[in-house]
Amino acid sequence: MLAGIDYFIVIAYIIGMLLLGLYFKKFVNSSEDYFLGGKSLPFWAIGMSIVVSDIGALDFVGVSGQAYRYGISVGNFDWVGSVPAMLLAAFIFIPYFWRGGMYTIPEYLGRRYNQKVRTIASVTWILFFALDLGVLFWASAVLLNVLMGWPIWISIISTAGVVGLYTYFGGITAVIMTDVVQFVIMFIGGFALVFLSLYEVGGWDNMVDKIATMGPEYRNHFDIIQPQDTKSPFPWTGILFGLTFVMANAYMIGNQSIVQRCLTAKNEWHAKASMIFGSALKMFIPILVLFPGLMAVVVHPGLADGDQALPMMIKSILPPGLVGLMFAAFFAGLMSSVDSLLNSTATLFTKDIYEPFIKKGADDKHYLKVGQITTLVLLVIGVATSPISSDFPGIYVAIQTFMSYFQGPIFAILLLGIFWKRTTEWGGLSALVIGIGFAIFLNVFKERFFTIEDPFLYISWWSFLLGFIINVTVSLLTKKHTEEQLQGLVFSSKILVKNKSL
Amino acid sequence: MFNFDWLSGVSQETAKMIFLSLYGVIGLLVLLLPTEYVYEGIAKEDRHWWNNLKLWSIAVLSILASIYYHF
Repeated sequence: MLAGIDYFIVIAYIIGMLLLGLYFKKFVNSSEDYFLGGKSLPFWAIGMSIVVSDIGALDFVGVSGQAYRYGISVGNFDWVGSVPAMLLAAFIFIPYFWRGGMYTIPEYLGRRYNQKVRTIASVTWILFFALDLGVLFWASAVLLNVLMGWPIWISIISTAGVVGLYTYFGGITAVIMTDVVQFVIMFIGGFALVFLSLYEVGGWDNMVDKIATMGPEYRNHFDIIQPQDTKSPFPWTGILFGLTFVMANAYMIGNQSIVQRCLTAKNEWHAKASMIFGSALKMFIPILVLFPGLMAVVVHPGLADGDQALPMMIKSILPPGLVGLMFAAFFAGLMSSVDSLLNSTATLFTKDIYEPFIKKGADDKHYLKVGQITTLVLLVIGVATSPISSDFPGIYVAIQTFMSYFQGPIFAILLLGIFWKRTTEWGGLSALVIGIGFAIFLNVFKERFFTIEDPFLYISWWSFLLGFIINVTVSLLTKKHTEEQLQGLVFSSKILVKNKSL
Repeated sequence: MFNFDWLSGVSQETAKMIFLSLYGVIGLLVLLLPTEYVYEGIAKEDRHWWNNLKLWSIAVLSILASIYYHF
């Protein structure tokens, strides 16, 4: 339970975020301001925002739970599962999107393939983000319930209210600049818990020794590379093929909420630097979210639900004051993730669905208003769908399951779209539809095809591979695009040696 | 096939070497990028060595490789 000073810190944090976010309302005068921050933001703010948005409250609870159950291998998601993909994004994809003046990833797919591909990709992301919102809200409610005994629905609605207000008025500038503060608070709160937990378990070496003596199920707890036949969801084959080659790239290159941030950069160097700076910050994340779960194995052995590891550590380790700070850090992670999803989904809907299909050629203020209203509608959908995630055994795995349906096929068409001129609209469309269908099929019948506990990494790889093959095959059988149609959309070595020439 | 059973003979140590090699290859590719390209967006007179994104990338990859080497 929180003490008086903890309540003070948490409430001060929430009010501070609200005021800071609302301050940026005055910079929003057009849809470009609302969705792209007027293309004026520096790399360090964007880099921090990418990291804090990606590592939200969900990871505080879910990754600690996974670390409790499976050990350090869950850190792969922030190390090999981020850095190589972010470098690829920084040097190849982001310059194309930035120079092209794009708002959304589906907008690129629309230009490269056709409007149908753009619409399917956009609708898929919108559905995913809406479900993701529900998962995030549920994660917050579970933690608030454990820590403070607050009723779940009051937690969800209070979070939605604060984030909804500043996202509605301040757009992506408010989202990114509040993310910077949330990043700092998350790091301070997170590291406070890590250092005190390390002291509690008698240091790193002592913790390793204790866990090693706890039984054979902890034998691989400190191996980042897990054997191919492990029963955990993280065999090295899945980490290499599913995570490193597909999911990480799909997430960092094809995820609207990540890429949109880079598109707010003031120039191309800042756009590239934001991704690389973000990748450097990313490497610290496992220390914050994974180590408490490992240390909970020693402090609280035998927990039935790994997702309780972090709340239990906060309750047993942190003194009054720091509990409030950690709680604010948790709120920071949650808010940064929710505001990103809201703004990105509003951008996708306004630019990819509303503008081309519902009202073409309206004035800019109209699209700004549509973006703001969409933000509010999404908030309601997120709150309403949040109980769905209670049906899944692990919160973090739940979100990966949603993503694995379409990450592979979307990355397949992005990759071929940018690197292979011969890819056609029909190739891209069929790869997307069949690939997503195949991913859903594998997920429904996963007990029949897979031996590991939750095969989302394998599903993303196989659906990517099928999408890739379908795209190549169908493209070769259909009419190729003209050079004029491909201008500025397909990778050319000219981009590396000749400025501004795509 | 779906479970990569054909790779079951690969030891954890070999798998670790595969990951470390991957970081090496990425680092090499980054070094091959034209310097002009990584500075794009900064005026020529304002360019400094600390703006060189190749150096940033190599530093990040080095830390990543050391983590995988250690664990």
